[in-house]
Formats: sequence, C-alpha cells, structure tokens
Amino acid sequence: MRRLTIPLLLLFSTVVIAVAPFVGATDLSLLGGADSAAVRIFTELRLPRVLLAWITGATLAVCGLIFQALFRNSLASPDMLGVSTGAAFGATLYIRLGTAVSFFGLFSGLSLAAFIGALAATAAIYAAGSAKRGGMTAATQLLAGIAISFLFSSLNMIIQYSGGYTDTFRMMRWTMGGVQAVGYSTVTATLPPLAVILLIVLIRAPELDLLVTGEDIASSRGVEVVKLRRRLFLAVSLVIGLNVAVCGPIGFVGLMAPHICRKLAGTAHRRLAVACTLFGGAFLVLCDTAARTLWSPAEVPAGVVTSCLGSLFFLWLLVRR
Amino acid sequence: MSFLEIRGLSLALGGRTVLDGISFSLERGRLLAIIGPNGAGKSSLLKCLGRLYTSFSGEVLLEGSRLDGTPQKEIARRIAWVHQEGLDSLPYTVREFAEMSRYPWRSAFGGMSARDREYVEEALALTGADAFAERCLKSLSGGERQNALIAAALAQGTDILFLDEPTSFLDYRHQAETLKLIERINKEHSMTIALVTHDVNLALRTADEILALKNGLVAWSGPRQGFIESGLMSGVFDTEFVCFKAKKDGMPYVAPRVFVE
Repeated sequence: MRRLTIPLLLLFSTVVIAVAPFVGATDLSLLGGADSAAVRIFTELRLPRVLLAWITGATLAVCGLIFQALFRNSLASPDMLGVSTGAAFGATLYIRLGTAVSFFGLFSGLSLAAFIGALAATAAIYAAGSAKRGGMTAATQLLAGIAISFLFSSLNMIIQYSGGYTDTFRMMRWTMGGVQAVGYSTVTATLPPLAVILLIVLIRAPELDLLVTGEDIASSRGVEVVKLRRRLFLAVSLVIGLNVAVCGPIGFVGLMAPHICRKLAGTAHRRLAVACTLFGGAFLVLCDTAARTLWSPAEVPAGVVTSCLGSLFFLWLLVRR
Repeated sequence: MSFLEIRGLSLALGGRTVLDGISFSLERGRLLAIIGPNGAGKSSLLKCLGRLYTSFSGEVLLEGSRLDGTPQKEIARRIAWVHQEGLDSLPYTVREFAEMSRYPWRSAFGGMSARDREYVEEALALTGADAFAERCLKSLSGGERQNALIAAALAQGTDILFLDEPTSFLDYRHQAETLKLIERINKEHSMTIALVTHDVNLALRTADEILALKNGLVAWSGPRQGFIESGLMSGVFDTEFVCFKAKKDGMPYVAPRVFVE
C-alpha cells in the first residue's frame, strides 16, 4: 500500500491545484474571451493564490519535517522557534512606524521588514547555539528557540499596545497569516526557497534518518551531528523567514503534516519529504479555498482554518486506532 | 606503533573531571574490557575514543594517525558502536536499522549497492537477527534486540567494534549467548573490540586486556591474567572479592565476599 502513497498524493495534489481556482465567490466562465473579468480573476487572482498556498503549505510541511527530525521532538515546528515571531516583530514595527515602501516589485516593505525580523530571530537562536562549546544539545536549542519566541512575542505586544486602533488591527491581521496574492510576484519569491529546502532534505535524508535514532548512534554512524543541526537550522529558518515575510505566520501545517505523512509514507525521510511537499501543499490550498468560500463574500485568514481543521483532523487521526 | 593508542586523555564535563590523564594502547585483533565501578568514566572514555565526545585533551591515535580532525564519516568506516540507550521507541525494522549503518560508505544520492546488501545480510545471518529482520526494533525482546544492535554495528563494515555495557539488560542465557557472539566476532572475524562493563566476570572470561578505571584514573592496565594477581580488584570496586576457578577450564571468576560468606 505504501508504494502507492506517493503516486496517490501526487494525484491528490494535482486534482486540488486543478480544481481549487474554479471554486470561489464568483462563478467563473472562461469562455467569455481573453479579456473577460472571469479570465482576469482566474489568472491574476485565483491561480496565483492557489499556487502561493500550495508552495507555502509544502514549504511549511517540509520545514516541519526537518525540525522534528533535527530536534527528535514530534512537537517541534517552524512556527514554534522564534522565526515567525521574529518576522511578526519586523512586521509590527514596520506598521507602527507607518512607512510604506516596495523593493523591486517582489517584496513590499512590510515583507522585507518581516524578513529582517525573522533574520534577527534566527541570528539570536544561532548565536545562542554557537556560544556553547561543543554546540547545544537538541533540547537546549529547542528551548533557546522557544525563549526567543517569547522574547519577540513580548516585544510585539509592547508595539501593539503602543499603537492606534487601525495599526493594531493591521498588526493583528498580519499575524493571522494568509495567502492573498495578486499576480505572480509572490509565487516567484516563494518558489525558490521551497526548491532549495526540498533539495537539501533529499540530499540530507539519510542523515535525518540516523538522527532520529539518537545523537550518539548518528555520530557513530558518521553523521556530524552538531554541524548538521546548525546548518539545517539556519537553512530552515531562512526559508521559513522568506515565506513568513510573504504570507505571515500560518500555524499547524508544519506540525501536523509530517505526522500525517509518517502514517501514510513510513519513516524514510526521502519519501517523507516528497509526501510532505505534496500533502502540505494540497492541505493549505484546501484550507485557503475553505477560508475564502465558506463565509463568502467575507474571507477568514487561511491560518485560522489550518489550525481549526488541522487540529480536528489530527485529533481524529490520533484516536482512530 | 600500536594499533590504537591513547596518550594523556583528560575530560571534564560540567566542570567535573571525568577522565584524568588516561594512557594505554591496544594491539590489532585484541579484545579490551574497560571495567570499573559506576561513575568511573568507562563509557565517557569509550565515547572519547570514538569521538562522540570531542572536548577532551590528549591524543587518540589509530595506526599512528590522530583521530581529531578526521571527518566523522571516516571514523565511522573504522569504528562501529553498539549502544544501549534510546532504542526503545525507534520506528525502524531490524533490517532498516542495519541498512542505515551503511551510511558512511554511501554517496549523497546513492541507494544501497549490492555490496551494502551483502554486508547487511552477512551481519544479520552471523548474529541470528535474520530470523526477525522484518520486525520493528521496539517489538523485540532484550536478547533479540541485542543481536539486532550487534548486527547493525557489523553491517557498518569496520575493523573495530565498541560495545557499551553489552550484557546489562540481559538474562543469564542471553548474557552467555551475547558473550559467545562477541568472542566469535573477535576471534573468527579478527575485529578489534573494546567493551565497557561493570561485570568483572564478563571481562575475565572474554577480554585479552583489561583497563580498570577508578575516579577517572587508570587503576590497572594489562593482560587479564595479571589483574586478579595484582590484588587491585578490591580497591577498584571498594568491595572484597573471593576468587574461584571454573572446573571446566580453570578460568577465574569472582564473587563479592559478602555474597559468599
């Protein structure tokens, strides 16, 4: 059965990407000519949004998979370790300062500020990990990440508390995450990080397999554990930072998708990485489609739906047997 | 030049001196037992030799070359380990776990080669783990698991094997079987073996050489016959021992005096 997992997930993901752009508040009839409003809604709004959702879901799922192996902790996820709250710090500070700039049409000033915030958090966690002789243990590095997450959360609250109603609402809305996209600039900005992290995990999969067995076993089989953890932590943090800068923090996909994929595809990280990409991407597209259609014409942020649907589905999966 | 040589090895963990100026050497194909009471630094010494601990001072030389600075993958091609900790919840089958031991020989994208599979099959057959190769590690009994772990270490294809407390969690039957297996690997496959144990009888029965540690210092180092004659055993373990000779082969074995008298 597990041999069919990847082909079935590929089919699932393809069907979701193909169908999702046709679902929405406006009924699309693409036969009205190339300039029709329906075509523009399809090509400039729905399709890029679906693609951004897929890329984001896949990125979060793969990064979650790496973090769970790296820290040997099934509760580790990219949104726990300070990178997302660091990005939120950059974003809230940007909104509070009231500036508005854009860079090369790829990144808005808000996204750039969020990315710088994510970099600051990553640097802080990385510095804490490097400061200890011989490197931090997985558990210590995890706790250092959580401590930095709390630190940035408190800074965010100070900024939000000092802001006006409008600014505070914008800040709050940003921290809920979402995959609104107009045109393809966000797609081109988020696709390369996904490709890079997927390539890294495919190359490093045997080391991640060994790391799950324990640091001593991995070391004795030839894995440079401290170096691997530092490098992968840095890579995941940068990729997550870039994604969060565009979409805001979207919770739960990075935590849950690896668990579901382990049940579907087994424990080998090479297969798991492919499964997480296909499942995570399709899952976020489904969640975002629900987010923009269930309360139509109003929308809720995709992050709210991922957490809500994801936690219920995850609970069902846990108690099923 | 000795096969494995340790010069002035010292280690401090959390501000406490764990090992203090350890020096000894081991020739190729010999079986070394590192013994001592709890907290003497036995496992820490083994971890320094395999570079699982790196923050020690002193030198570890393998065939005259220093191991520090050697990539972990290169070390893993020479030294395999049998660990005891953290294996209860592993989701892998015995075969998968043994296949993972081929990591130091595989390229980044390469799958298992025919040679890799040959090593795995040989290791599973030698240890008898082929009988339960498709079972998950966490479903195995203590004896089966020990054989699976030794199989995985042998699949690594090294010429040196380190074992950390190989009989600690085993009943008498499985202790005897594991000892026989270790002796076979040492004698028939010419592997150099270093094992850590607090079981003096295991050391006296299987080892060629004994290194006795106490409070991070070498209390005694040399051939096993000399250890009992040295009269240092009681001092090392802070316990009086009575020594017996086995009727079958005249091999010495000991028991704490409080158990006998």
